[in-house]
Amino acid sequence: MAGIRKVAVIGAGVMGSGIAAHIANAGVPVLLMDIVPEGAADRNGLAAGAVARMLKTEPAAFMAPRAAKLVETLNVEDHLDRLGEVDWIIEVVIERLEAKQALYRRIDAVRRPGTAVSSNTSTIPLDALIEGMPEAFGRDFLITHFFNPPRYMRLLEIVTGPRTDPALAATVADFADRRLGKSIVRCKDRPGFIANRLGIFWIQNAIAAADDLGVPVEEADAVMGRPFGIPKTGVFGLVDLVGLDLIPHTTRSLRAALPAEDAFHASYREMPVITALIAQGHTGRKGKGGFYRLNRQGGQKTKEAVDLRTGAYRPSAKADLPALKEAKGPKAVLDLPGRVGAYAWRVMGPTLAYAAGLVGEASDDIAAIDEAMRLGYNWKWGPFELIDRIGGAYVAERLAKDGYTVPPILAGLDGKTFYRVENGRRQVLTAGGDYKDIVRPEGVLRLEDIKLAAAPLLKNGSAALWDIGDGVACFEFTAQANALDEQVMALLGQSIALVTERYKALVVYNEGTNFSVGANLGLALFAANIAAWGEIETLVALGQQTYQRLKSAPFPVVGAPAGMALGGGCEILLHSDAVQAHAETYIGLVEAGVGLVPAWGGCKEMLARWQSNPAMPKGPMPAPAKVFETVSTATVAKSAEEAKDLLFLRPTDGITMNRDRLLADAKAKALSLVEGYEPRKPVSLTLPGPSGALALRMAAEGFARRGIATAHDLVVAGALATVLTGGEADPLDTLDEDAILALERASFMRLVWTEATLARFESVIETGRPVRN
Amino acid sequence: MQTYKAPLRDIRFVLHELHADPDGPVLPGLEDFTPDVTDAILEEAGRFCTERLLPLNASGDEEGCRLENGVVRTPKGFPEAYKAFREGGWTAMGADPAFGGQGLPATVNKLVEEIICATNLSFGLYPGLSHGAYQAIQGHASEELKAAYLPKLVDGTWSGTMCLTEAHCGTDLGLLRTKAVPQGDGSSRVTGSKIFISAGDHDLTENIVHLVLARMPDAPEGVKGISLFLVPKFLPRADGTPGARNGVTCSALEHKMGIKASATCQMSFDDATGWLVGEPHKGMRAMFTMMNSERLSVGIQGLGAGEAAYQGAVAYAKERLQGRSLAGTRRPDLPADPILVHPDVRRMLMTIRAYNEGARALGGWVARSLDVMERHPDPAERRRAEDFSALMTPIVKALFTDLGFEAASLGMQVYGGHGFIRGHGMEQYVRDARISMIYEGTNGVQALDLVGRKLPAHAGRFLRSFFHPVLAGLDEARADEALAPLAQPLGKAFGALQLATAHIAQRGMKDPEEAGAAATEYLRLFGLVALGFMWLRAAKVAHTALKAGTDERAFYEAKLTTARFYMERILPQVAGLLAAVKSGKGAMMALDEAMF
Repeated sequence: MAGIRKVAVIGAGVMGSGIAAHIANAGVPVLLMDIVPEGAADRNGLAAGAVARMLKTEPAAFMAPRAAKLVETLNVEDHLDRLGEVDWIIEVVIERLEAKQALYRRIDAVRRPGTAVSSNTSTIPLDALIEGMPEAFGRDFLITHFFNPPRYMRLLEIVTGPRTDPALAATVADFADRRLGKSIVRCKDRPGFIANRLGIFWIQNAIAAADDLGVPVEEADAVMGRPFGIPKTGVFGLVDLVGLDLIPHTTRSLRAALPAEDAFHASYREMPVITALIAQGHTGRKGKGGFYRLNRQGGQKTKEAVDLRTGAYRPSAKADLPALKEAKGPKAVLDLPGRVGAYAWRVMGPTLAYAAGLVGEASDDIAAIDEAMRLGYNWKWGPFELIDRIGGAYVAERLAKDGYTVPPILAGLDGKTFYRVENGRRQVLTAGGDYKDIVRPEGVLRLEDIKLAAAPLLKNGSAALWDIGDGVACFEFTAQANALDEQVMALLGQSIALVTERYKALVVYNEGTNFSVGANLGLALFAANIAAWGEIETLVALGQQTYQRLKSAPFPVVGAPAGMALGGGCEILLHSDAVQAHAETYIGLVEAGVGLVPAWGGCKEMLARWQSNPAMPKGPMPAPAKVFETVSTATVAKSAEEAKDLLFLRPTDGITMNRDRLLADAKAKALSLVEGYEPRKPVSLTLPGPSGALALRMAAEGFARRGIATAHDLVVAGALATVLTGGEADPLDTLDEDAILALERASFMRLVWTEATLARFESVIETGRPVRN
Repeated sequence: MQTYKAPLRDIRFVLHELHADPDGPVLPGLEDFTPDVTDAILEEAGRFCTERLLPLNASGDEEGCRLENGVVRTPKGFPEAYKAFREGGWTAMGADPAFGGQGLPATVNKLVEEIICATNLSFGLYPGLSHGAYQAIQGHASEELKAAYLPKLVDGTWSGTMCLTEAHCGTDLGLLRTKAVPQGDGSSRVTGSKIFISAGDHDLTENIVHLVLARMPDAPEGVKGISLFLVPKFLPRADGTPGARNGVTCSALEHKMGIKASATCQMSFDDATGWLVGEPHKGMRAMFTMMNSERLSVGIQGLGAGEAAYQGAVAYAKERLQGRSLAGTRRPDLPADPILVHPDVRRMLMTIRAYNEGARALGGWVARSLDVMERHPDPAERRRAEDFSALMTPIVKALFTDLGFEAASLGMQVYGGHGFIRGHGMEQYVRDARISMIYEGTNGVQALDLVGRKLPAHAGRFLRSFFHPVLAGLDEARADEALAPLAQPLGKAFGALQLATAHIAQRGMKDPEEAGAAATEYLRLFGLVALGFMWLRAAKVAHTALKAGTDERAFYEAKLTTARFYMERILPQVAGLLAAVKSGKGAMMALDEAMF
């Protein structure tokens, strides 16, 4: 099989349509089919409806609305023969063996031989699925288990059977990896595979233990969340998110499939509270609320939570657990006296033991089990990484003391850890007791791996510079939230000098959750509060100069963002020669939200981009108007694809679907620019001047009249308009870059003095959102 | 013989010239307090205190309080003076008219307190404690308790106390042990021992209302488990008059260095009947609401001591003849020149003067913020004032009491040996002033409050209420030829304050011990800049008055001279303080504990 150029997804439910959308995100055409409901007017209605729904719901399944055009909506009655067009058929229908097998027989009749067929089943073993199917079907068949929502969850569990053609499986895996951006975890053909088997076990234990120990849901989530590197939704918040009805359903099928001696059964418990909640329609966030809900009675919104004992809602109170806050690390939490420590152990002890029991059962690879939990449940550390943090001996001893069976791999640890670093390489323990290198998929380059073996070229408290091979250096932000400050600028300045001297190209990249959320607002606010205006202005000027130096450096610079790239984090990309962005990159100039204007060259670069855009009408006004529209509203692109529409990215900038491949792609892009590289020339701009500013202000006042813009929004918009239209510029003059930068600085400094801007800073720092003043 | 005259001219300067805001709104509820009215009140306060309280200061110190048959007797003349004080309406000054108070602005109130404390600090503590109790009850107690107790506290027939400290805990109240067991009828039984209770028992009033911090049986550990109870000495009858004796007694009087006429009692509560004030376990919150005002009052005590010491020292420096002026004989008619001619005596007097007038100005500014935060119609102004008072309270408390003690010591120094012996009363000021650096939160605790709580709050927002007006004032002064010479050194000192603040914010965030190690020097640095700003503003007012023409030239010119003295001779200390702040905790914390 040559490759995958077209895909079909059968079953247009939430998962099926989400998978189809994500395949379209990769730029690959996809047929989405479902049955024809009795008496339907539109015979493709199920698929068409699913696509229409996805275009409206948040978080969006499509990276850009135009991707929806790649999804052809069909039905299995009229269009099954079109499966002959595709290279991969994904079955996402109801979890009933007979239904699936009946469908497979129909598929097999029309598919081209060698077309991959996979099931997205979450619990039915592959063996059962292909029982009685022709030999050739078995060769082309595998399980590809996506997680919900398919666009955002990076895990793909793949199960192959003894008959599956390895080359075909490799082709599907490679497509899923490079084109869909998934991390592939190969699982054995066991019920629930890895992530859900362990995840559901954990959820089941966490709910039962909360019930047994009388732990309120808020407290349970506070304990079962951040302290263990688990998202702050914890357990009950997570169940609300995925849907309460899913729990009994998945539990039932796991219980049916797992052998009697599996520990899953022992931890199973009837949960009348859940049954009752589901019966009342409290199925979670998709329903009328779940363990938590917002009660809107009496015109007031009160957050409520379920009392597990009575099943009734009561006002929700944030868990007040000072000891938990003080506890450093998971072990300290397990050791806490009283209910908190007891609960933590009652949940995590058996869960870690169950994870250890999965070695050899669900996978032979400890690292794969950890990866599945990191990517499938967003745990920061997989179970074996957690055991390493807590101490294997501690876990084993405490399990034994409490009468649990200690799995052999845990019992035999003998002071070893599951992971170690040897000769600059990360290694993992094998079932045989030896260590083996953790091998990344081919072509993957990770800064975290490089760091194990090398020292930084340069480093200070907020940034570092690394040699990533082949004459390319990598500039990394390292401060909290990758915030930008004076130290980042200082090190970037030094890095430019060093790269000029000794390297061919520079990549700006890091492996944080977010590329950078912009300048350190806390520092800025503190400086403003003590009236250190000189320091603030110096930092603004320093950022401008440093980014200008980056732009005019004699080597190519490639920005490689993933996650949020806001404010100053966006501006560094705007000054790069090219960008290779992860598909899930959210770029924006959000300064207006906190009552400022972009002042590290963001206004200048955006003006230059729009003015040189061939699609723009002639004249000085269209570019400022376009930038004003984006920046005054603090618009953030919801994907790299969308960033191209807003010109935060150029049409020529690259998009990488797999987060793990971003650095390698960025490096390749940088190297491709080396030959014949010429530093970019400064641009000059023709801007409309005061009359243009007036027009922009009037537009903003229109928003204010409609109640969309606040009083201070108008002040900010006015200052932004001044910058974007060139201040006192005459429309006949051309302005150089320095003139625009001076305007940025002046407007910024005027705004940062205002109480309203400082109030926005403060609320962003304290609540994460700017106050609307 | 102690001499004192209320510094009414300077008080008027602070009230009507320095902090007057002619463009601002008249604060609601304060419409009646026009300058005529407040001046009359202050003049009367000056007269009363000098005539009735000052004569009892030395004698009260000499005689002290006595515990006789379980009852405390105050020194001779105190009961009569208190009666006159009460009848003069002075106990009602700062109280709400709804409970019979006069509703004076905090600004006026605090300046009257200065006069009381300057003339007789021991006496001032009795009504001072009552006012603290009044505030706690007014802010947190039930309507029944308010109705029963507030009018009596306001008219002064009853007095109040604050019972916090126990033998094993003062600063760390989370450790306290006094118990309160609810009886199911709304009352509780309070049992435990308290120490250092000012005005715990005395013969000035017919009843004493104790506000007691105690722990209920189901209370959480630490400061989150402390509740506040009202425990009267005599349980009020239905008609409101004192009835049965409650289970609270003074078991001993503390023997102490100063404020000897103030009864500092050890109190025993033995199944005493009390009532919860505010919510269960929220006693500390009730305490904190009155803290700003109380700590400002203690700061004002320091100012009072400084003013008394200044006046005593000046009187002596003018009459005491010793040696001749270094610049040549001044008074050939006399056997020697008055010691006022000597530079070092001048140094001492100018220093005290610069402290006192600067502190009075700053105290007035902070007191005004208390009025603004309660009464201003604009919520943004109220918040700014609240930020400002929160920020400046620890500074006023610690700085003023440190300087007050220093001033008292300098005042004594001017007298030489005659200051050290009793007759002139100067050594009493030193002894009396010393306690104000300790109680209501030691000055070290104030410094920690400043760097640990006030500095980081809302990413430094409290600081804005001070730093922004100072910068604006500096910018304005730099542009003014007459003020520029003062703005220059103050600008430099302000820069040092900015540096020190940023330094502590940065270092202290990573290592709280760093902030703790810098705290005391930082507070002083901050305080000196704040006084410097007051002197800049005072100089501006003086210049304006002189330019406009005035028949008080000497007064305003003295302001300008003292402002210059402050900038040249006192403010430069900030350079040393900044160096100390920046040096970090290193040497301070390095020594092994075993070496102490």
